[in-house]
Amino acid sequence: MRIFHMLAITFYAGVIILIGIGLIALSFNLLLPEHIMALNDYMLANQFNRWAVRLSGLLVIIISYSFAQLILGRMQREKTIAFTTASGEVTIALSAIEDLIKHSGYNIPEIRDLNSDVIANKKGIVVNMRVTLRSEANLPELTARLQEITRNKIQEVLGLEEAIIIKIHISKIVQREDKDRRRKDSVKEEPAIPFGGFGRV
Amino acid sequence: MVFGEETRSDLGAIKIYKSAIASLVSIAAAEVDGVKGVSRGAWIRFLELWGAKVNRIKVEIDRHSNVYVDLPLVIKYGYHAPDVANKVQENVRHAVEKATNLSVRDINISIRSIERP
Repeated sequence: MRIFHMLAITFYAGVIILIGIGLIALSFNLLLPEHIMALNDYMLANQFNRWAVRLSGLLVIIISYSFAQLILGRMQREKTIAFTTASGEVTIALSAIEDLIKHSGYNIPEIRDLNSDVIANKKGIVVNMRVTLRSEANLPELTARLQEITRNKIQEVLGLEEAIIIKIHISKIVQREDKDRRRKDSVKEEPAIPFGGFGRV
Repeated sequence: MVFGEETRSDLGAIKIYKSAIASLVSIAAAEVDGVKGVSRGAWIRFLELWGAKVNRIKVEIDRHSNVYVDLPLVIKYGYHAPDVANKVQENVRHAVEKATNLSVRDINISIRSIERP
């Protein structure tokens, strides 16, 4: 597959250079519509040329797919924390740390919703949290507790010694009473149907 | 013993595929306390819906019959991840060496997710 990756990079560099040259040629009036039509006629001239064009198209699709995999694979690979043991390497996806933060955050009853974004850089691990709280929460106390719990949990579960910076953004505060009232309203008693019970034994 | 190719004995041919070792690795990993299972991405889950059998465990065997394993894992919430990873590496090494007589060189574990038990 490595050969496809090499081909993909060369191919994309080549295509982009060709587009650039084509645009420059167009601007200098060196590339005329007749030239493009002539190329089109040549490609469709006989069965051999048509097959060559079809196979080239197929190759382009395979190379593009390979290129996309390469890029996505690199992106995924970068988003991990790695350490080595005697038996091999252990990598922990940053999304796994996000799961961990979510689970530990939901143990605090004042938190209604929690989303986090974890970044690992030279400074350490930076956690950006977006939290929806219930109204009765004391914000300074709660946020301090949340930071403490998250930091302890990350250190305890992942055994990391890096600095952990936790930033909390409270995106919403929800009124619990309002929510309960709304829930009660939605379960209103249905109006009695006249003679609804008539005839029942 | 050559993998993916036939080995002849007096009684017939023996063939062990990498997929068989991958299954062995999967079972050995699942035995460890704290492991939820082998991680499967959305794309693999989609393929499995259509009946395809896709193995996320990558097994490589070199010319000297050394085994290299890449194992994506989901672990349970509340467990110490490096401990779980260490135990998985030990258990997988023991299981593969016991079953196949091959030496396991590297067991690379990637923890993809943490889920509630």
